[in-house]
Amino acid sequence: MRPILSALLRNRTGAVLVAIQIAIALAVLVNAVYIVKQRVDKIGRPTGMDTNNILVVSSSGFTRDYDNVAAIRNDLAYIRGVRGVTAATAVNSVPLSNGGSSRSLSNHPDGGVAGGEGGQYLEVDEQGIDALGLHLIAGRNFRAEEIQPPITNGTASRFESQLIMTKAMADVLFPNQSAVGKTVYDQLRHPATVIGVVERMQAAWPEYTHLDSVYLLPRLPFSYSGAMYYLVHTAPGQRETIARNLEEHLSTSDTNRLIDWIRPLQRFKDRGYSGDKNMEVFLIAVTTLLVAISMLGIFGLATFNVSTRTKQIGTRRAIGARRGDILRYFMVENAMITTTGIAVGCALALGVGYWLSLQYKLPRLDLYYLVGGIPVLWTIGQLAVWQPARKASAVSPSVATRTV
Amino acid sequence: MSAYYLRLAFMSFRRNPGLTALMVGAIALGIAVCVMTLTVYHAMSGNPIWWKGDRLYAVTMDNWDPNDVYDPQHPGLAPEMLTYKDSRYLAQSKIPERKVVMYKVNGIITGGTAEKRPHRVISRATSADFFAMFDVPFEYGGGWAAPADDGPEPVIVISHKENQLLFGGGNSVGRTIQWNNQQFRIIGVLEEWSPQPKFYDLNNGPFDVAEDAYVPFGWGPSMELLSAGSSNCWKPEPLNGYKDMLNSDCVWLEMWVEFPNANSRERMQSFIDSYWAEQHAAGRFPRPRNNRLTPVPQWLVDQGVVENDNRVLVGLSFAFLAVSLINTVGLLLAKFLNGAASTGVRRALGASRRQIFQQHLVEVGVLAGCGALLGLILAAVGLWAVHALYASVRFGERGGFQELTHFDTSSVVWAVILAIVATLAAGLYPAWRIGRLPPAVYLKSQ
Repeated sequence: MRPILSALLRNRTGAVLVAIQIAIALAVLVNAVYIVKQRVDKIGRPTGMDTNNILVVSSSGFTRDYDNVAAIRNDLAYIRGVRGVTAATAVNSVPLSNGGSSRSLSNHPDGGVAGGEGGQYLEVDEQGIDALGLHLIAGRNFRAEEIQPPITNGTASRFESQLIMTKAMADVLFPNQSAVGKTVYDQLRHPATVIGVVERMQAAWPEYTHLDSVYLLPRLPFSYSGAMYYLVHTAPGQRETIARNLEEHLSTSDTNRLIDWIRPLQRFKDRGYSGDKNMEVFLIAVTTLLVAISMLGIFGLATFNVSTRTKQIGTRRAIGARRGDILRYFMVENAMITTTGIAVGCALALGVGYWLSLQYKLPRLDLYYLVGGIPVLWTIGQLAVWQPARKASAVSPSVATRTV
Repeated sequence: MSAYYLRLAFMSFRRNPGLTALMVGAIALGIAVCVMTLTVYHAMSGNPIWWKGDRLYAVTMDNWDPNDVYDPQHPGLAPEMLTYKDSRYLAQSKIPERKVVMYKVNGIITGGTAEKRPHRVISRATSADFFAMFDVPFEYGGGWAAPADDGPEPVIVISHKENQLLFGGGNSVGRTIQWNNQQFRIIGVLEEWSPQPKFYDLNNGPFDVAEDAYVPFGWGPSMELLSAGSSNCWKPEPLNGYKDMLNSDCVWLEMWVEFPNANSRERMQSFIDSYWAEQHAAGRFPRPRNNRLTPVPQWLVDQGVVENDNRVLVGLSFAFLAVSLINTVGLLLAKFLNGAASTGVRRALGASRRQIFQQHLVEVGVLAGCGALLGLILAAVGLWAVHALYASVRFGERGGFQELTHFDTSSVVWAVILAIVATLAAGLYPAWRIGRLPPAVYLKSQ
């Protein structure tokens, strides 16, 4: 140990540079993995919907002759008759699309906004739950005769007398009791009865504070932005065929409106999280490259050191050192440098973690990640130096005699 | 002499091709990653109308819920939009040189000659000053005059892209099209124009593209059009019909003003404050007074245009560059010291320390130059890949982050600066170290 250390101290620069690389690599690796883990968790949050087998159709009426209610009736009659369609509903906004309407509900007429729970609402019909692929866990679904006509400019504040909400929302409004049969109120004190509870459904905005609070109202959609939508649940594997069929029929069936597009629901989810996805890809790519470059650097430096020290190695071998001793010399030397780097890297990682917690307003770096990162870098250091060390141990003792 | 140093450098590269490739590769990757993140960061934080830096202001007033802040993440800020009644009142003021009240609406256009089918066109209902205030460039024709706003007159300005679609390009001023089922006369066609970030309306993301059609503001209320961007309400008040919406405390209109000097800005501030006081006495504006005139740079900060992710990525890429450079320093040092014998001969034959230093710096400069060039190519490829990644999830719509991932002149400038930094950072110390070596020691061992 001692001779290795004193040799290192006599020729510090290279070792210091390697240690700094190791320190930076550790700080980056640990924090990058921590961020990626959080993004993976965020993207992986269950939506409650069968996003892969749902098509979204956007339809806008634009002439004075356009009759919204009749158009919905005709379109749904056609869509539900297409082979492979398991359920379909008209809806006011696209789930997971970053757009939609919300209105808070309270469990008391005087609750107001502060005492209530914010939530997104969707206007659906009796096939709404199936079209979204939700699971009803208590109460019942809407019946066809309960579906109300759309709101109009003159009745925009209307509320409905029945609704279905997510379990998450029900748990906030009615903790420790069943919400089915209970009354909720909107901000204008209109009452409604909760007739059913679905297991889960995610609201349209990934950053929304009430992400899992959604409720369904039994009525036909009126859309604020001029378009309304159909959600079409398809049998597995038939999504594309059905999309082509619908495109062909719907774009010509009513000249008073236009079909803006037909898209899979999954793409809205992908779009909503594309920033997170890219952050993941970029972090993983850069971190991998960074670790790879450090490894190559250590390898290159060790190779160089071996070639400049060939004569000394030969001399050591000639006076009795075994191959294993030479190998051990380089491995131990690297271990000492790496350990120093890791010690500095721990402090650096915590500092970076602190800065990130300020940037993201997130809890500080979990220490498990730091503990996990240490053996990784240590192994990488040893792996990088393995081949040059082997080469060094292969130096023949006769080298010592040759050039002197 | 420098040609000779260059020849020496290339000879040295040829002696250790693997090591040279490793160093060039490391520098190239470091520079590529930095150029990519800096290009995006630069695009995000730039003020697209910098030449009006101290003249353009966003107008906001805090009319929100007494029990609840508008944006919990920025509790000090007022809502980014105004109510209809407040914007109407403030727009009467003669203090600003120009003023604009506007919002995004949906339009369906028919009546083109090249594209005959009806299609949806995201539009903007805006007052007349929009074009002059934001220096919007016209390809043909121009905007409307202020009286056309209240009439409102059936005139429309369309984008370059929409003109291409409807008429296949060419001067379409004077033609008639239907916008939301009503006849409109085209009076202007814009050049390609889409400021990024879209500072004047950040509701649908900072990198939303500019609208493709513009109509006088009065068409919004008279056609009873609701906002296609964003509208937010807090007050428990019935909203039955468009009139209720106009009289409500819902915010959905953007307002901007332009001042000729600082004095008029102060006068405008007191004008707004006195309006606030009057309304406050009448029972509106339940929150503490918070009326703001915000210039564009501050506006972009307040509205969180530069995302935290981008700052983190810039930090990460500099850590990466640092590792690449440290790596290179270590390898260069080892390499130079390995060649100390020949340096010793050179010194013994009369080369000065300074010349040895120069010779090695030239070698590093060539290395860093190659690295920068390769890095620039890698960055272009990388940005193109990010662009493609975004395009794949955006249904071919324009706008969004992908608009930012274009390789531009700023990328090249960054690469050149980073190459110089890299040369100095990686080369100075090894070149200096080698110049300081006592020649005698290395001559002896021969």
